[in-house]
Amino acid sequence: MQPTTPHDRSRLLDATRRHFFAKCGVGLGSIALGSLLADESLAASNPPSLRDPLAPRAPHFAARAKRVIFLFMAGGPSQLELFDFKPKLQELDGQVIPPSYTKNKRFAFIKGDAKLMGTRRKFTRHGQSGAELSDLLPHLATVVDDVCIVKSMVTDVFNHGPAKLFVNTGSSRFGLPSMGAWLTYGIGSESRDLPGFVVLQSGPRGPRGGNPLWGSGFLPTAYQGVPLLSGPEPILNLANPPGIDRTRQAEFFSTVGRLNAQRLAAVGDPEIATRISAYEMAYRMQTSAPELIDLSGETARTLNSYGAEPGKPSFANNCLLARRLVERGVRFVQLYHTDWDHHGNTDTHLGKPLDDRCKEVDQPAAALIKDLKERGMLDDTIVVWGGEFGRTPMGEPRDLVGRDHHVDGYTMWLAGGGIRGGQTIGTTDELGYYAVDDRVHVHDLQATILHLLGLDHLKLTYRFQGRDFRLTDVAGNVVQKMLA
Amino acid sequence: MIPAFQTSPRSTARALAPKTAAAFYVAAWIVLASVSPARAEEPVDFARDIRPILVAHCFECHAAAKQESGLRLDSAATLLAGGNSGPALVVGKAAESLLIKAVRGGDDEISKMPPKGKPLEPAQIDLLARWIDQGAALPADSPPSAGDRLSDHWSFQPIAAANPPVVERRDWPRSPIDAFILGRLEAAGLQPSTEADKATLIRRLSLDLLGLPPTIDDVDRFLSDTGDDAYERLVDRLLASPHYGERWGRHWLDVARYADSNGYTIDGGRSIWKYRDWVINALNRDLPFDQFTIEQLAGDLLDGADTDQIIATGFHRNTLVNEEGGTDPEQFRVEAVVDRVSTTGGAFLGLTLGCARCHDHKYDPISQREFYQLFAVFNNADEPTLSVPTDQQAKELPALVAEIEQSEKRLAEVDANLGSRQAAWEAKFAGRVDRPWTVLDATIQSAEGATFTKLDDGSHLTGGTIPKNDAYTLTAALPNHAITALRLEMLPHESFPKQGPGLAKNGNFVLSEIAASVAASGPAAGETRLAWGEVWADHSGEGGAVALAIDGDLKTGWNISAPGNANVPRTAIFYLREPLTATDGKLTLVLEQRYNRPHYLLGRFRISVTSAEGDVLKLPTEVREALAVPADKRTDAQKNAIRLEYQKYDPERLPLATRIAELENSRKQMAAKITTTLVVRERKEPRSTHIHLRGDFLHAGAPVTPGVPAILPPIAARGAHPDRLDFARWLVDPRNPLTSRVTVNRLWQHYFGQGLVVTENDFGLQGDRPSHPELLDWLARQLMADGWSMKSLHRRIVTSATYRQSSAMRADLTAADPYNKLLGRQQRLRLEAETIRDSALASSGLLSDELGGPGVYPPQPEGIYRFTQQVKFWGENKDADRFRRGMYTYFWRSSPYPFLKTFDAPDANVACTRRPRSNTPLQALTMANDRAFYEIAQGFATELCAAQVDDTQRLRTAFRRCLAREPSNDEYASLAEYLDSQRARFESAPEDAALVAPRSGPATGDRARAAAWTMVARVLLNLDEFITRE
Repeated sequence: MQPTTPHDRSRLLDATRRHFFAKCGVGLGSIALGSLLADESLAASNPPSLRDPLAPRAPHFAARAKRVIFLFMAGGPSQLELFDFKPKLQELDGQVIPPSYTKNKRFAFIKGDAKLMGTRRKFTRHGQSGAELSDLLPHLATVVDDVCIVKSMVTDVFNHGPAKLFVNTGSSRFGLPSMGAWLTYGIGSESRDLPGFVVLQSGPRGPRGGNPLWGSGFLPTAYQGVPLLSGPEPILNLANPPGIDRTRQAEFFSTVGRLNAQRLAAVGDPEIATRISAYEMAYRMQTSAPELIDLSGETARTLNSYGAEPGKPSFANNCLLARRLVERGVRFVQLYHTDWDHHGNTDTHLGKPLDDRCKEVDQPAAALIKDLKERGMLDDTIVVWGGEFGRTPMGEPRDLVGRDHHVDGYTMWLAGGGIRGGQTIGTTDELGYYAVDDRVHVHDLQATILHLLGLDHLKLTYRFQGRDFRLTDVAGNVVQKMLA
Repeated sequence: MIPAFQTSPRSTARALAPKTAAAFYVAAWIVLASVSPARAEEPVDFARDIRPILVAHCFECHAAAKQESGLRLDSAATLLAGGNSGPALVVGKAAESLLIKAVRGGDDEISKMPPKGKPLEPAQIDLLARWIDQGAALPADSPPSAGDRLSDHWSFQPIAAANPPVVERRDWPRSPIDAFILGRLEAAGLQPSTEADKATLIRRLSLDLLGLPPTIDDVDRFLSDTGDDAYERLVDRLLASPHYGERWGRHWLDVARYADSNGYTIDGGRSIWKYRDWVINALNRDLPFDQFTIEQLAGDLLDGADTDQIIATGFHRNTLVNEEGGTDPEQFRVEAVVDRVSTTGGAFLGLTLGCARCHDHKYDPISQREFYQLFAVFNNADEPTLSVPTDQQAKELPALVAEIEQSEKRLAEVDANLGSRQAAWEAKFAGRVDRPWTVLDATIQSAEGATFTKLDDGSHLTGGTIPKNDAYTLTAALPNHAITALRLEMLPHESFPKQGPGLAKNGNFVLSEIAASVAASGPAAGETRLAWGEVWADHSGEGGAVALAIDGDLKTGWNISAPGNANVPRTAIFYLREPLTATDGKLTLVLEQRYNRPHYLLGRFRISVTSAEGDVLKLPTEVREALAVPADKRTDAQKNAIRLEYQKYDPERLPLATRIAELENSRKQMAAKITTTLVVRERKEPRSTHIHLRGDFLHAGAPVTPGVPAILPPIAARGAHPDRLDFARWLVDPRNPLTSRVTVNRLWQHYFGQGLVVTENDFGLQGDRPSHPELLDWLARQLMADGWSMKSLHRRIVTSATYRQSSAMRADLTAADPYNKLLGRQQRLRLEAETIRDSALASSGLLSDELGGPGVYPPQPEGIYRFTQQVKFWGENKDADRFRRGMYTYFWRSSPYPFLKTFDAPDANVACTRRPRSNTPLQALTMANDRAFYEIAQGFATELCAAQVDDTQRLRTAFRRCLAREPSNDEYASLAEYLDSQRARFESAPEDAALVAPRSGPATGDRARAAAWTMVARVLLNLDEFITRE
């Protein structure tokens, strides 16, 4: 019988073990069945094991990076205030944009007759690479030679929710797996006592879109992102109920384990073995997760470099936590920071609100790069910085001045993990409207990240509703220029 | 290849193509005269000049084998009809014809053709253009028949009448189902498994049919029932239980993507639980599946549709709504219609129709045009909200409305004859209307450092750093007349939020307290506090009457919140109890503003004093001025102002007006209590539907009318085009080969973990073939033969020997049939999220078995909303609703109840026809530590401790309540040892015992025992077997 779906093939492998188990009458003391067999599923070209879905697996080809930290600037930061200086835009400040740019275009809020707006920020060149940055990013300037700035990003969708889904899942529609889910599905995780895909959040509110942004879509739920909450209990239900200390919890887990093992002996279903190991990992997580969020062991120098303060939730703390997570083998860490949606209301204009966001983000992000580098981890850790889209060269006059959502040319940056630093890729036209050279579509970015992790985005697929789905939909090219 | 091309006049071809193509055969070749004279000299001949070009360059993608973009150029009829982008030709106008634009290239509208390979020579393009300009004469033909698209794929074939095979082992089959199953097993040299024991069977049946475990009484009754038909009677009893509708309703709600919120980023709440309850009730009364389908898709279109049938249309209102700012409503309306097509495809047809949204389906015979024909079926609906009053509300509301109307009529009568009453009122003011207010010339100081600017009109404008709270002190020399009252005017200003007059974000303020005192001149003079008499304001907000500004309580005060806008002047008058007659000395006013929210401060205000008395002071300036004019000289505006002012005081009017306000308030309150639900209603003016090129709704292609894929049987329309009702009836037409197969397959999947077709939502070419095609067809025919009765279908399946088998693993089966597709045993299945919760509640004795109603809010862990854009309402229930079945838990799409999400409940963004069954550490943490689940363990312990039995019996009872069966000796020993050791440990740790023991348990004494039983209960609820249907 030919296995037809990945699920089926995986079940076949498990059934093989099942058969082995039944034949050999493995003693119940050693439940680690997986180790009894050379596990065929330990390669990305095969579906993962149902019993241990997060076991590390070999990629398609040699990987340049082992893990990803994605700094998601929710709301869409303005590339024109941060990265992409346009003298022509300064010159035409206040003039109506030529209609050739806006014909047949839709925007979220502004109309086709909007006026161009130059930036009020000052730009200077930094590092040996001479990358141009605004004065809002003084810390990034100190690591700019490790960073690859992409000024020619383009995406397909211009409302926040759908656009965030697009960056994360490759589609603006619901129901598809997010990048972290694809990665842990493809190559598992190296952490045995933390989830393989962790999501952190800072800023005034949660990112628009919520759960589906880190969902597993049609992949098994084992691959969905686990939100790490600020506060004493970083994972839901991590703490013991009141009155139950560590010993009592251990006794509880061991009694449950013993009874489950008795049932396993009676009916022989390997699902029970999986349940037993899931309980064991849960018990380990109860120790490892609090240890993870305890920053008291970090030196004052480290804390200062990030600007982190133990016990005070911030993007800085989350950057430090991200380093601690990847140190512990977590595959994909995503940090959401809100809110970059600078339309021009009193709390969302391109003055102080933008200053504040940059102050919150610039130093910790740069510190993360330095810290990873000092620890020798930058080489195999990709750091990505960017939002779901950029902002229009036209101003959006509300109470104060801001910019609308823009999809045709905006900026992101990457560092580490096989990325060639010290370069700027792509340009936009003289108004900063369209990406013109070396356009990098969101699907290209996704293909490149997968590539660096040793995965061929064309081969990392999952059969669902009769179609082989992948992160990059039907598009995506690895951006060779990005690679070291 | 091309059928015999004949000639026809162009005009006839356009008018008739493609339906009545037969007519073309009689027509003759005529070149139309209306062609460009310059090129008329040499007529272009289609067969000689044009067809060879098309064959060479176009047929590879646009002929019989393939019709890219819906375009087929090998027959006159289809060439004229054009493709998805619209007609290929504009006769006589080559430059406007898509065909020419495409081969020339460089056009925004259409890609250059051919996309690969050699482009057309300029001379060829010229020929094509001349041919079109000359009238595009074509030999007529009939359109290629749909027969070209016939498929031999299994699922499109009619449902066969299958007879069960003859099997060797005659004593095993209980029904034809078993013969089909056994036939395959025997062919593979396998035997079925033995029947599961009775305790397992009753637990399996209860969980499968009701989603609840059996009680010990249920189990004992079944064990002691030795009748031949004991099992069948049990099945009947369970199918008659109202919990059956809940259990199977929940399965359907997965397909219906039911949730209680709008989804996307804002994810506001919605009320559509009436639809959920309709599903439960429909299943409980065994509404036949064909009717179940018709009412949900088109209940509103049924003749004399009743409220329930309209509520049923909520099925397709479970689509998402994007409330984000800056979205294009049409874009998300289109998304919702696309979702309706896709959901209908998955739910009823087992087809991935959504794949044909942007292009022809890659695998299945569904064209993009056909997708939009289905889109057109659903595109003609409005999306109203239906009020569903209770019987009592339905009686009371009209009565209330009638009373309001009656009172308003009386009010109109009273207003019509106010002449003499108003005259008497006016007389009161005669000669008193010109006494002016004097603006107080005061210095002002803020207690918290705010600064003030005095404006030309004598008002004070607050500025500087605005504190949270403040007290303003005003000091002024006494005027040279007596003071009887003091007036505070609150005035708007453009610099304030909402333009004031307060400084709060909403333009409001709260005057907590106003105090006045007077001091005679001279250093030794003490201050005398002035006592207030009547106070009055022209407007007060809710809970902010002006009297609260003199009640001595700083927590209360005068405000101007709703009803009424900010941004209008407001006036308050404070009468002195005794007129102040002194004219030498200093008047001090203190305005306290101590509201508990920040910046509720007076923004711009003016203080005046007067020596006049009485109601005249309350008159607005324009009324006072109007009254000063002799009655016969007043303008209409002045008369009107006076009349409106009088009506505020008219003693005959006031009680009526008050009564109407009360009634209106009751009406509003009652209306707000009436449950609403989202429904679908057909539009009177149909929307036109176009193909969306590349799936983009902004790129309209050729127009389409409602229809169904040609690969499936034709649809019968009541009108010119089929509508939703025709479509729904077509879905459940016995000739439709898909709906009944898909339905029985999905049911089968719930009983055996996978369907006879494993890809339950894809019966197309990429899906799995059925493992037992004859059984699938037999079941589908039986379903229809049983009048689409779902309960009959359930009964057929669960009474089969196949269903009753043991689920234990067997080495021979594992080797020969690793996926258990041949069903030589039953399948152990982890319970669904809701069923895990429901089982725990039922086993512990806490379950509230109330059916239906609005969503409920059981306890959930802290911190759920840190990852959502907006904090969601979660008013944790303290009453029995805390222990309702999981399906009633309020479902926010952006942040589902974590317990449900952790155990694979779908997120309701798209239809879910099969839930995954994951097995993760987060599930273990939830089962062990979730406070709602822990509370259930405590409740279980309370129940256990209350029984008057010994601990052996208690432990057995606890075990059987969870698992129905008796514990084995080993299991009993493990639990007993755990109980004893925990009890001993709690005895030496009384603080822990107090925390672990149930709240309702013993206050002291046996707390250690209660705590130990909580731990045992917790273990039992955490067992793999507890969350598994064996």
